[in-house]
Amino acid sequence: MSADHDQSPGAGRLGPRLVAVVLLALGLLIFVQTFSIRQGGGYSAIGPRFFPLLVAIGLLLLSGLFLARTTIRPDEDLMQQSADEEAATHWPTVGLVALALVVYAVALGPLGYILATVLFFPVVARFLGSTRPVRDIIIALVISVVIYEGFTRALGVRLPAGLLQGIV
Amino acid sequence: MDVLGNLLAGFATALSPTNLLLAAIGVTLGTLVGVLPGIGPALTVALLLPLTYNFDPVGAFIMFAGIYYGGMYGGSTTSILLNTPGESASVATTLEGFQMAKSGRGGAALATAAIGSFIAGTISTLLITFVAPVVADVALLFQPADYFALTVLAFVSVTALVGRSLLRGLISLFIGLFMGLMGIDVLSGQTRFTFGLPQLLDGIDIVVVAVGLFAVGEALYVASRLRHDREEIVPIRGSIWMTREEWRRSWRPWLRGTLIGFPLGALPAGGAEIPTFLSYSLEKRLSKHKAEWGRGAIEGVAGPEAANNAAFSGVLVPLLTLGLPTSATAAILLVAFQIYNLQPGPLLFTNASDLVWGLIASLYIGNVMLLILNLPLIRIWIKILAIPRSLLYAGILVFATLGVYSIANDMIDVLVMYAIGVVGFFMRRYDFPVGPTVLGVILMPLAEAQFRRALSISQGNLAVFVTRPLSLTILLAALAALVLPYLPALIARLRGQHPQQGRLVFGEGKED
Repeated sequence: MSADHDQSPGAGRLGPRLVAVVLLALGLLIFVQTFSIRQGGGYSAIGPRFFPLLVAIGLLLLSGLFLARTTIRPDEDLMQQSADEEAATHWPTVGLVALALVVYAVALGPLGYILATVLFFPVVARFLGSTRPVRDIIIALVISVVIYEGFTRALGVRLPAGLLQGIV
Repeated sequence: MDVLGNLLAGFATALSPTNLLLAAIGVTLGTLVGVLPGIGPALTVALLLPLTYNFDPVGAFIMFAGIYYGGMYGGSTTSILLNTPGESASVATTLEGFQMAKSGRGGAALATAAIGSFIAGTISTLLITFVAPVVADVALLFQPADYFALTVLAFVSVTALVGRSLLRGLISLFIGLFMGLMGIDVLSGQTRFTFGLPQLLDGIDIVVVAVGLFAVGEALYVASRLRHDREEIVPIRGSIWMTREEWRRSWRPWLRGTLIGFPLGALPAGGAEIPTFLSYSLEKRLSKHKAEWGRGAIEGVAGPEAANNAAFSGVLVPLLTLGLPTSATAAILLVAFQIYNLQPGPLLFTNASDLVWGLIASLYIGNVMLLILNLPLIRIWIKILAIPRSLLYAGILVFATLGVYSIANDMIDVLVMYAIGVVGFFMRRYDFPVGPTVLGVILMPLAEAQFRRALSISQGNLAVFVTRPLSLTILLAALAALVLPYLPALIARLRGQHPQQGRLVFGEGKED
């Protein structure tokens, strides 16, 4: 639980600054990577590097400006919003949901669509505050079976059967 | 070509039992998903895209049109009862709509939104019927330079006119442009920014981007604040209908909203946010009941809702005739065309005339179905709002994963989508608009191809973009869109007054 605590004047500065640094790094990455694009032979006036270079330089300039707006000339509205967000954020929930997502993606193939979903849905619902696991499992079972049967039989879209191969 | 004859043929297609059924399924699904809080039409269409993979194109597009319109109708219910706009074009509706619901007039607000949407949708479809073929004829004259100028206009107007910060809008756009560059460059055959992933050779799928940014980004954002935010659903008291007085106050805003919404949606200038806010402020200015504003004035729901629906229909004009999507939702519709190897553009009307006219005819039919779904049956949809948030967002994540996984049964696609979802989470957190990213991804390949084509026609002469009157005009319009929001502040400063606000803002909030 995060209560609204008193905000110091510098509250909420760190987040936007980190964003600015990440954006700068992305701009730099695009810039460097641009030079590993092979220039096609041929006679076209503008090769495959032109637009990437434009985007890289543009992003570097913009993220530089953004960094300035978080340090030298801070954008007070944004800092206020960032401080409010920080006070309201419960990071463990975000982390757990993200972790569950990655496990879900990896498990879809080996476990199969139905099993992976029956595991994923109640777990994420629990992370998001549900207190009725039995109900959640039943819902997950119904949703996943309906989707699996509907997609593979009625719509002709293939989904992995996984461990339940031969049963469903 | 004979428009009426084509339209009649279109109705013959759309009224076949199968297509009627598909339209009914489309509008129902669209409303169902559109009602869910936090889900707007763009995500609705993206999530339901896999459902149509194995249909014949005409049927699939009829269903899609239903989903597209249904998502919009459903969204207004959420805006009014929950104060949660599914997308930025619904923000204007929440301002008065939620107040009406709180003071016990939610029924009237829902009714004026549904009837207004129906009237705007029908008039706009009528306008599409007659305007689109004309635009398609004109578009045949467009050269690559003009197309490039159009993409620039779309980039600039979406970025500059929406959101609170131009800088953050531009950053969002450039992130999208970068993602749009990934994959094999069509003209030279070189791979760019694939980071060794073969899945990225074909470029990054717009469905992956949209579902990641909208669904996963939103779900993570809600997860982060779950222990902090509380939502209330306002119960509906009384009937869902309007009094004579409310009818009298609604019909002019409906028509004005339509007239504002359609042309602004049809111009390649960035979707539905601007017209809804224009309509809101116009109605506020014209209203004889000024004291009610802020406490639930029905004009403030009737006007923006009509404008919203009309603009959504208007967006179909550049999409069908130029192949130019000007909103996130339209960008995903473009993907639907590409799945069927159809390239929207001037030739679509001659090459796939039965599809286009079947689609247009189904828009008329869909609007009638939606009016029925959203007035007598509205109470069913309201029940959906009572789904606990935990189950709702767990379900959204399941469907988001399904939507992306079913593209190619590939885990990497899903992981890329989640990564984009994390980006979307931080964008929401620090108030970066998401729309420019989506537009950047979808339009970058088009912009680059047309730019290079224009230069190879002009033999490398950059002046081609300013010597052609058409492309020069479009580029000047783009410049105007960039400068316009700063104009009031600039004028105030020139007059020696202290400006009240830095720049005009047309749309705030989330646009998914």
